[in-house]
Amino acid sequence: MQTIQRLTLYTFTLLFMLTGHCQSKMVAIKGGTYIPLYGRDSLKVTISDFEMDVYPVTNKAFLEFVLKYPKWQRSQVKKLFADGNYLIDWDSDTKLNQSQSLDAPVTNISWFAAKDYCECQGKRLATIDEWEYVAMANKTMPDARQLESYNKYILGWYEKPKTFNNAIGSTFKNYWNVYDLHGLVWEWTLDFNSVLVSGESRKDVDKDNNLFCGSAAVGATDLMNYAAFMRYAIRGSLKAKYAMKNLGFRCVKDIVE
Amino acid sequence: MKTLKSILSLFIVALSFTSCHFSDSKKSNNDLVLYQCPMKCEGDKTFDHAGNCSVCKMDLKALAETSLTELNHNGISDESIFNLTSTWHTEENEIIQLEDLKGKTLVMVMIYTTCKAACPRLVADMRNIEAKIPKENMKDLRFILVSIDPETDTPDRLKAFAKENFMDGKQWTFLQGTQSSVREFANVLAVKYKQISPMDFSHSNIISVFNSGGELIHQQEGLGVDNKETLQAIHDLINKN
Amino acid sequence: MVNYLKSLCAFIMSLLLFGCIDNEKKEYADAANIPVSKEMIAELTAPPNVPTPVGRRKAKKLIVNMEILEQEGTMTDGTTYNYWTFGGSVPGSFIRTRVGDEVEFTLSNHPDNKLPHNIDLHAVTGPGGGATSSFVAPGHEKTFNFKTINPGLYVYHCATAPVGMHIANGMYGLILVEPEGGLPPVDKEYYIMQGDFYTKGENGEPGLQAFDMQKAVDEDADYVVFNGKVGALTGDNAITANVGETVRLYVGNGGPNLVSSFHVIGEIFDKVMVEGGSTINENVQTTLVPAGGAAIVEFRIDVPGTFILVDHSIFRAFNKGALGMLKVEGEENKKIYSGVVQEGIYHPEGGGIQDMPEDDNQKAKVVSSDKSLAEKMEAGKKVYMQTCFACHQAEGQGIPNAFPPLAKSDYLNADVRRAIEIVLKGKAGEITVNGEKYNSVMTRQAISNEEIADVLTYVYNSWDNNKTNVTKSQVDAVKNGH
Repeated sequence: MQTIQRLTLYTFTLLFMLTGHCQSKMVAIKGGTYIPLYGRDSLKVTISDFEMDVYPVTNKAFLEFVLKYPKWQRSQVKKLFADGNYLIDWDSDTKLNQSQSLDAPVTNISWFAAKDYCECQGKRLATIDEWEYVAMANKTMPDARQLESYNKYILGWYEKPKTFNNAIGSTFKNYWNVYDLHGLVWEWTLDFNSVLVSGESRKDVDKDNNLFCGSAAVGATDLMNYAAFMRYAIRGSLKAKYAMKNLGFRCVKDIVE
Repeated sequence: MKTLKSILSLFIVALSFTSCHFSDSKKSNNDLVLYQCPMKCEGDKTFDHAGNCSVCKMDLKALAETSLTELNHNGISDESIFNLTSTWHTEENEIIQLEDLKGKTLVMVMIYTTCKAACPRLVADMRNIEAKIPKENMKDLRFILVSIDPETDTPDRLKAFAKENFMDGKQWTFLQGTQSSVREFANVLAVKYKQISPMDFSHSNIISVFNSGGELIHQQEGLGVDNKETLQAIHDLINKN
Repeated sequence: MVNYLKSLCAFIMSLLLFGCIDNEKKEYADAANIPVSKEMIAELTAPPNVPTPVGRRKAKKLIVNMEILEQEGTMTDGTTYNYWTFGGSVPGSFIRTRVGDEVEFTLSNHPDNKLPHNIDLHAVTGPGGGATSSFVAPGHEKTFNFKTINPGLYVYHCATAPVGMHIANGMYGLILVEPEGGLPPVDKEYYIMQGDFYTKGENGEPGLQAFDMQKAVDEDADYVVFNGKVGALTGDNAITANVGETVRLYVGNGGPNLVSSFHVIGEIFDKVMVEGGSTINENVQTTLVPAGGAAIVEFRIDVPGTFILVDHSIFRAFNKGALGMLKVEGEENKKIYSGVVQEGIYHPEGGGIQDMPEDDNQKAKVVSSDKSLAEKMEAGKKVYMQTCFACHQAEGQGIPNAFPPLAKSDYLNADVRRAIEIVLKGKAGEITVNGEKYNSVMTRQAISNEEIADVLTYVYNSWDNNKTNVTKSQVDAVKNGH
């Protein structure tokens, strides 16, 4: 009796540890169609079903990752894959800064690092269309983009300083049971470099055939959606090797039938 | 004797006034500071005094201590694109890794074969550059065109495209990757692209020049842009080898 | 012989001297060809101060390092706002250059910031004014070079989408390009920039206020201020000068929406460099500063006092904060301005409101209690002295050829009802009183029915009139058209 108890206890702890470490909680997202801010010729985009991390990747999880894969430690990472800001706030390769919390989202990581992290878990980064699809939900509706309160909340966050130190789960749970898509940190996406804005925003409303082939698709579909505008602006300003204090990431997984 | 002294002193004073005419160009070079054109118009050429670049007329910038790029045990530096381990298919249906291109100066661009708008012009820009390279230097050079549409641009399709565009020579290589490796490669080049319809992509028009170690040396953005600087960069890299 | 030698040396020396000086004073028809010598790190100042004038220095390679900070600041007492700033201030640091300078501009975006930014300097000739080459994510910096080929005072601002929001949050400032030889020297120079702000709450609502996009689109500003907040230039923060000094104000307008009608109360601008350009206007009271534009105003101070800087769209000054102060000390000049010379009493026509005669009915007013004759006389006399005295005089004698008499007036005594009607509705046209013709206008008196009853009772019981006691109900009746 006792050994069975012990065995079950051990297996449970083992399972718990395993799940706690390698696999973070995910939820299923039912696919659909919608028109994103920067779309394909103003047509709807179709998202297939997929799974998304409930929370962004934490400092704790990323710390385990660099312990397991030293090539992503700060002193060893290749300059091709990360710039000078990579994990700049950590005290050392494997130690966080005192002011940072293990439960806060990991930031100051490059796209290459984020991509590799997801791939190690058999997952991947979300595409912009997938990310925006889940992010346009508020607590109760899957598409809250027309609601003033929804936009107000996001625009308000843009002005709040230093939210990157808050723990995951500190913002609202949305319709899909996903937390922190707004209000915590910006997040890397797989194809962030598909945002063809040059940064000279007065020109970005015009076709610049010289800089961008096929740039007729540059126009945004909803000029009043300033909250989304800013996200696309951030994506447009990034390069894959950049690391930013306010930029983290989460992973998604395709649902294999 | 006294008048001679006064004359002499007057002359010395006069001379010191005239030297103010040359005030800025001749600085005393007690410290060994090297100067270089910030746009590297003449490649890595350095000067031991300040002045203007003879090509673009910008002021020469004082160089900080030059840091030697560290080479890892492969002989590839930290910044080299050969660090990407993805595999690619060429138009000849060979499977290579980017590292297989090591040893030659590389001029790379991203296109797709069904493009109607900018790509023909980008291709023409590449050909313009190629035409201006002296024949004897061609062996040190490789022109790589990477497809951003790996699903459509199979090796056969790429080969057909090469023939249509008179780019079938040994110096031209076309590469097909996977969605993931292409996205990764584009990010290294800071090329942006987006699929806007089943047949069309929006993408930035950038021609990149890499040295034989795979490090990015120069980029030219836009169509029909004056390729003088690109040619200069290539020229310098070839001559350095 | 010696003398000859001496003069020869002197002659040669002077030749060389002149040769040397001449080489420095070349005129360049095209500013793009002005050569630069040496490097200089630009001195950047926070408002309201400006860097040292360029004077006669030669064109240089000027290094400008500008940092972007997103930080919370005070808009007014009790109200805070999240400002996005160039150099930590709104407006951003003042950049001072001269024509022909080659500027190496490095824009750094602090890593704590959330958003990417860039900069468009109106002094730049080139795509986006620099915006395409300076788009920078937090934790990164970008450098680009430009040559200042036009002199003038120029605005710079962030141009990242949405541009209106970035500007509305305070991302603007001024860059001055002085002409060859510099601007003429003055005693005091100050940097002032107007901006409009749009908050979710109304003007004065306490707490941290968020930016309101809809109000910005509607151009419905809650705050219109100088230098980023209410009171930035008032009280202890006022700019100062002394009597006899010339003051130059570099006035910019970041907008994002409103045009400024800049005026200094009590001063006249001796010179205005219109829109910051080369045209000089003189003797100007109020000058327009376009949104995204600037102007340079100069004036000599002649008298001491506090001179108020305003946007003369006046509700912005007194209700939204577009108010600053220039405090001047020094000797008074009574000839130019004397202050109060004399005080005295002045008798106006009385407290009653004067209106032109009309026919419409007024609303009936509340009924009040009855009064005795003596009370009515007393009350009526008061009303008379306030309302009627000015024209009809103390004893009801009127003014010949102007206002008819009320004393022993046949016209008055003939018809009480008519008298009531005149007081109620006024009268215009010719009448004959006591044999004299009067053709004038009497305005209707906006006094209550009870007051009309009282004053008419007083008049009828004074000065040999027929001693009618006019009651309120009589007045009511006339008023209601009976």
